[in-house]
Amino acid sequence: MANITKKVSWSSRADESGATGEGTPLLNGSEQPRHSRQLSEGRSIFQIGRLSTVDLEEEITSDEDSLRGRPKEIPHNEKLLSLKYESLDYDNIENQLFLEEERRMSHMGFRCLEISRWVVCGLIGFLTGLIACFIDIVVEELAGIKYQVVKENIEKFTEVGGLSISLILWAVFNSAFVMVGAIIVAYFEPIAAGSGIPQIKCYLNGVKIPRVVRLKTLVVKVGGVICSVVGGLAVGKEGPMIHSGAVVAAGVSQGRSTSLKRDFKIFEYFRRDTEKRDFVSAGAAAGVSAAFGAPVGGVLFSLEEGASFWNQMLTWRIFFASMISTFTLNFFLSIYHNKPGDLSNPGLINFGRFETESVAYNLYEIPLFIAMGAIGGLLGALFNVLNYWLTIFRIRYVHRPCLQVMEAMLVAAVTATVSFTMIYFSNDCQPLGPDHTEEYPLQLFCADGEYNSMATAFFNTPERSVRSLFHNQPGTYNPLTLGLFTLTYFFLACWTYGLAVSAGVFIPSLLIGAAWGRLFGILLASITTTGSTWAVPGKYALMGAAAQLGGIVRMTLSLTVIMVEATGNITYGLPIMLVLMTSKIVGDYFVEGLYDIHIKLQSVPFLHWEAPATSHWLTAREVMSSPVTCLNRIEKVGTIVDILSNTSTNHNGFPVVVQVAGNDEPAKLCGLILRSQLIVLLKHKVFVELARSRLTHRKLQLKDFRDAYPRFPPIQSIHVSQDERECMMDLMEFMNATPYTVPQETSLPRVFKLFRALGLRHLVVVDDENRVVGLVTRKDLARYHLGKHGLEELQLAQT
Amino acid sequence: MSPYRHSSFWGFIVFNICVLVSGDGANLTASEVPPLSSVVVSSAVFKPGLGSVLSLNLLSSFPEDLEISDYCSELLHIFGQRYVAYVNCLVPAARPVKVCQNCFSSYGSLTEIFSNISSDQVGPGNVSCRDSLLRSDRLMLVYELYENLKVLWEKSDCHNCITKGFQNLTSDTLHFMTTLNQTLTCFEQYQQKNKTELCTNCKTDYKNLNVLYGGMEKNKTMCIDIEDAMNMTRRLWSKNFNCSFPREETVPVIAVSSFMLFLPIIFYLSSFLHSEQKKRKLIHPNRAKSYSSLMNIQDNRS
Repeated sequence: MANITKKVSWSSRADESGATGEGTPLLNGSEQPRHSRQLSEGRSIFQIGRLSTVDLEEEITSDEDSLRGRPKEIPHNEKLLSLKYESLDYDNIENQLFLEEERRMSHMGFRCLEISRWVVCGLIGFLTGLIACFIDIVVEELAGIKYQVVKENIEKFTEVGGLSISLILWAVFNSAFVMVGAIIVAYFEPIAAGSGIPQIKCYLNGVKIPRVVRLKTLVVKVGGVICSVVGGLAVGKEGPMIHSGAVVAAGVSQGRSTSLKRDFKIFEYFRRDTEKRDFVSAGAAAGVSAAFGAPVGGVLFSLEEGASFWNQMLTWRIFFASMISTFTLNFFLSIYHNKPGDLSNPGLINFGRFETESVAYNLYEIPLFIAMGAIGGLLGALFNVLNYWLTIFRIRYVHRPCLQVMEAMLVAAVTATVSFTMIYFSNDCQPLGPDHTEEYPLQLFCADGEYNSMATAFFNTPERSVRSLFHNQPGTYNPLTLGLFTLTYFFLACWTYGLAVSAGVFIPSLLIGAAWGRLFGILLASITTTGSTWAVPGKYALMGAAAQLGGIVRMTLSLTVIMVEATGNITYGLPIMLVLMTSKIVGDYFVEGLYDIHIKLQSVPFLHWEAPATSHWLTAREVMSSPVTCLNRIEKVGTIVDILSNTSTNHNGFPVVVQVAGNDEPAKLCGLILRSQLIVLLKHKVFVELARSRLTHRKLQLKDFRDAYPRFPPIQSIHVSQDERECMMDLMEFMNATPYTVPQETSLPRVFKLFRALGLRHLVVVDDENRVVGLVTRKDLARYHLGKHGLEELQLAQT
Repeated sequence: MSPYRHSSFWGFIVFNICVLVSGDGANLTASEVPPLSSVVVSSAVFKPGLGSVLSLNLLSSFPEDLEISDYCSELLHIFGQRYVAYVNCLVPAARPVKVCQNCFSSYGSLTEIFSNISSDQVGPGNVSCRDSLLRSDRLMLVYELYENLKVLWEKSDCHNCITKGFQNLTSDTLHFMTTLNQTLTCFEQYQQKNKTELCTNCKTDYKNLNVLYGGMEKNKTMCIDIEDAMNMTRRLWSKNFNCSFPREETVPVIAVSSFMLFLPIIFYLSSFLHSEQKKRKLIHPNRAKSYSSLMNIQDNRS
């Protein structure tokens, strides 16, 4: 029997064509329908797919396993959808309780809600700014100590010999910091690894990433960023700010912390996914704004990357949060720099002001900028491809926390080693400038009064290196130094991204781009006779930075505005836009953006803007899951408990049906109820019999649902006695009486549009008599994507 | 830095007020200064001054009340003399830079006379020269001339090396100069002989100088003279005598770094070979009956 199931099972097709992770084209001749017919026959044997969460996995008995045949195991690849991820309930549940509450609420109440939304946004901005400020100060202090110690050590050993000891000291310093950062990430909160932008993108897309907006994540993130930046990795602290802002937003808007077990009894109205999502997009915007000093860029980032759900008032509030955040950072940094009130540090990274003389660009430079954009796109694509292979390797082989920590430490040590070697063998000496833009000038073997130019690029926090590449006088770097620097840093950054440390990719990309951009400018000035007057290296460094970053992350609108705002220079708007456009076009020709690659590799059911092209022939019938577990309007408690505790059907939404006339007739749809609601109902024992016997029984309110949000207890923790199992439950009041439905013939793009635009979680497919035939969920839609061989289908997998 | 400058500025004011009382005194200092630095060119100094006096005579056709007073023209004359004296001092001190140590006194007297001109104090005949000399025309020649030199002075940071009231060089500066001289004599002493001997023998002197310079750099008590002298000495030391550190430990550095670079290769290889590859269990979704219709649709399409 196991044999049969194996043969008819879904994955058997993967056996033939996709065991190595190749996609399984839907249109591969006549083979497929044959299987599917078998599949429909085999349904009686193997009825329902295994849809259990990870933690419930152990409870599957061996009996079950043998019945189904051993599940197919394949190495991790990008063409999977993980069961770990669920949807967020962005759709408002309009049940009777909701209507009642709305009736009860006075006009004043709605006013207060509106005001408290503003208050929350202000708080989000303020706290995000504070966190950014904290990170900045701690990084600056710790990095200052580290570089000072290493510098003194190098100076000492340059004189008496034994520089290899300095090298070891530097490597040990780096590894030690990174070890701390990697340990807290790998052992305590793996979700805090990386920049967090992919995760926030998913969250705003409507995917519930477990633990992504918890307080613990925030703490680990902040600590991890500090450690990895101080540890000298090729990373920046800007990306994680976006995640931090989002966590702050999710926390503040709820008025309580489940981790700290504190409930402030405020903002209770906001305890649901819809409201939380809006605040999280505000938090992400505030994070961008604090990171780059770019409030408008932050708003546009939220718009571009995240919010599919957008309105005028929300935009305005998000802008408010962004402004508050950059102002807060600015204000506290001014106090830290002993210049209170001097608001000149709007962001974590400060690109510095471009001098007015060098601002001007000429018409004939535009083709040059476009060429730079193309180079940026190519390099970005190369970066992404390399990182893609590396990430796959990491997922497959470097998955144990101890290995991850070791890997991070090794990267840190090698980064220090490579930097040291480059500095050691560099012959590029430059005289010390009068204004000391170099924070930690290393002399090494240079003449007295000169410093090693390679050291300004390597022996420094990446932010400072970017700034010196933008602003140092022409002639500060010689071309060989820049070339070598670009090359090494490119590989270091590529190697670093994806480690189990929290760190962003913005700054390294900018740094790589600035280095080759400056090189480009220098070469341009040397090959043209008049070049030295207009080919200002700093300008080309900026364009290179934009091109490289655009080539890696493929952001367009928001990145343009961020760059314009961070340089405080409107004049460069057009060139930056052209550069980013070109780099995106060129890069997209080869491979997707880095964040999209990582989203794919994490097997997240991510819904893009549009359904894949050439998918109109697919209808809801093919897309949907079927059969659907339905509940009756008045259902026996025992049945509900059994359905909920069935590990093989870990469904979250249940269509509620009414039986018409005869029993054999399929029932008609009358509503939809969620697992979380059922659990709350069971917990409060809202049974028909109990309500009758106890007249004083308090009526369940929407507040009870909100109190349980967002961590609803699992069904196992709810005890239902044998007597209670016989009771009945009336779902009438609690279900969403008007769920969205589509007929079976609806095409996939239509379903997709409905799903994406409304942020649905469940879409019921009904026949012409309003009888439930299937249910479309996010994973059903996300599995189609346009691959190299036409439309491909992703497989569901347990991760 | 700025409070320091301010205090010195107030110092001048007081000083100037004292001087104003006795016009002779001002004259005295003015005539005293030029011979100190430039006796040779002193004949040229007075020519423009005389010229200006002549042109003043030509303009005497203006009515009495528009004419500048004798007192003011006297001030202007002194200003011209001192200006020329200062510039004469500056030019020869351009390379190697000695503008602070050589010319501070002439700058002092120049500022003094300028503050006389620009002060609110009314001189004899109840006239203030400020309006008539400084701002009665678009060119504002006197003001601009002075301002140029002031910018130069501030750029050179000379105020860091000069005591208040332009009396003397600061003790720090003098100390630096003596150390510098010591080092230079040492250089001279060994210059003829072996270069390596120079490097070893003058090292202490040179190091002391460097330490002293470093300290001054940190306290921001440096002026251009010191910076330039230090730069020259450093260049002598590193470039001419070739005493900077040689790159001689290439082998250990290469050894250590190649060891470090080797570690990740081992790490990745071992995790590739020994770590268990993470497998994903595929799930069979229940999308039961739909494929018959899929076939239909495909048939329709074809």
